[in-house]
Amino acid sequence: MLRRTLILIALLALLVVCIKPRMLQIVFTDREAAAREMNGSPDRLWPLYPRFLEGVRAHTQPGDTIAIIAPGMAWDSGYSYAYYRASYFLTGREVLPLVTPENEKLPQNFRAARYIAAFEMTVRMPAEIVWQGEGGTLLRPVWGAVSPVGRANPSGGNATILHPESQR
Amino acid sequence: MTAALIAILSMTVLGLPITLAVDRRARGPLLVGASFLYGSGAIFLILLALSVVKLRWTLPEVTLAALAVFCAASILARQPATGKAQPAARAHVFDVVTLFALTGYALYATLASLWEWDYWAIWGLKARVFLEAGGIDWRFLGSRWNTFAHTDYPLLVPLNFDFVGLLNGSWSDRWLGLLCVAWGVAAVLIVRGLAARETSPFFASLIALALASRAVSTFIGLAEGALIAFGGAAVLFVRAALRDDDDAAAWRHGALMLGFAANCKNEGLALLVAVTIAVAVVSWFRGGETSRSRRLATVTRLWPAYALAAPWLILRFTHVLPTDIAGGSPFSRLMARLPHVHEILGFLITRLHDPWFWIVILAGTLIAPAAARRPERFVFLVTAIQLLFYVAAYLATPNDLHWHVMTSWSRLPAQAALPITFVVFLMLANSLRGSQDAPHAQARPDE
Repeated sequence: MLRRTLILIALLALLVVCIKPRMLQIVFTDREAAAREMNGSPDRLWPLYPRFLEGVRAHTQPGDTIAIIAPGMAWDSGYSYAYYRASYFLTGREVLPLVTPENEKLPQNFRAARYIAAFEMTVRMPAEIVWQGEGGTLLRPVWGAVSPVGRANPSGGNATILHPESQR
Repeated sequence: MTAALIAILSMTVLGLPITLAVDRRARGPLLVGASFLYGSGAIFLILLALSVVKLRWTLPEVTLAALAVFCAASILARQPATGKAQPAARAHVFDVVTLFALTGYALYATLASLWEWDYWAIWGLKARVFLEAGGIDWRFLGSRWNTFAHTDYPLLVPLNFDFVGLLNGSWSDRWLGLLCVAWGVAAVLIVRGLAARETSPFFASLIALALASRAVSTFIGLAEGALIAFGGAAVLFVRAALRDDDDAAAWRHGALMLGFAANCKNEGLALLVAVTIAVAVVSWFRGGETSRSRRLATVTRLWPAYALAAPWLILRFTHVLPTDIAGGSPFSRLMARLPHVHEILGFLITRLHDPWFWIVILAGTLIAPAAARRPERFVFLVTAIQLLFYVAAYLATPNDLHWHVMTSWSRLPAQAALPITFVVFLMLANSLRGSQDAPHAQARPDE
């Protein structure tokens, strides 16, 4: 009798711990609010970034190489997100990181890139501005030119100046 | 949404003759669930094969290849049914609650475009790259800048996403969550069908209800859902094969599902090894008149699993795609961390997601009568080996151990939860009602 009671309790407990109430509740919750939250969840840090990347995609061709510049330029302070997210939005292009997970700079990628996509960063370098919008600038470097021509997002709150020379 | 629904429907139709070719007796929920899983696996193999022979993916080509598979499987499925007839699954009022729970999951999985970090950095990224390239982009996978996307991971899930993309005519991640729903529903249907063979409709429906939350992954867009479905189904079919006098159809189901699980994630490959070891051990200690070496030869019945796992293993070896955990010297890392294994285990226990679930599983196992536990040693062994592999992976990881645990431990135990929940529930349910009532009791081999 005791064993049967224990078995019954275990069976009921198993049923209770297996069922996730969230899965039942969602039918009755405000799904539009939840959808808004989910849609924004990957880009909470930089809500404009996906739209910026869509713009970069629209202004580049498959096969192009694009280096990403983003605030902080440190792997765990946002650069990994910026780089991974860019890889997803810019498929068909080769997205090059400028920082390693150990935060070592990769100047060879800066030189190898046909385009520089700078988000919420001001970049001073000899470059042609291909497109500007959604918080960032798409630049085509002009290697060998003398004067800096690109000055993107001058009013950006997080704006800093990145000198490509400092990367080398 | 239409493209994702058409993809799921066409995969199910494609899988129907495959399921019947594997097991002419398949009926009801098991037939539908297995059909979707086989269809999903077949689409993966078709896209992989087209890539290997360097044929660009187009919808007409994929459709033609799928039709060829469908016709070949239909011819094979014409053979008469062999083996014992299986009891059909009868519906129960609790199935409505299961349906309700799965509807809730479907609403969650399709709330928005897929949002998980690992989706857009690994699974979705590869799918999107391949769809644009019209096949597997080996240059992308070989690039040193893309190792973050775990380029060695098997490709069943990304190639299934690509099938939706081909039907859609372009990339869209808005409704890809429906595939995760389909994998989960397929797993629940298989569980429902298998449970109906061993217990009453009431308990079979309760098992399905309990597993409606455990057979689905809340990590939408990752390969977890597919792995849980293929891996869980594989273990349950092999269990059925071992219990039901080496039922040939159950062996075929088990081996094929296991092979597809190995094409979902590296943990699926680990599961293949775990099942092989467990089958060998259980067969070795099994009673009977045949010699132990002949009983040990039972593991050869898993050969289709290895045949399905081989192509991707060969491809990733020939394209030198690195596995992070095998980088450097994993053995020396493992040895270096071994003295701290108690601390690591303690950390894993404190970080265990859903601890009450595992406590109840443990309690249920101990409370169940020994006679009910003994036939389930295969599933217990597989689960134990899987958990051991996870711990070994943490010991050998080249990453920071805490970071690795924090970013993966919430997902891993869920991969092993489906079969163990199934057997513990069944043990308790059948003990409660008296095992002599179980419709399948007479078919069990003497232990």
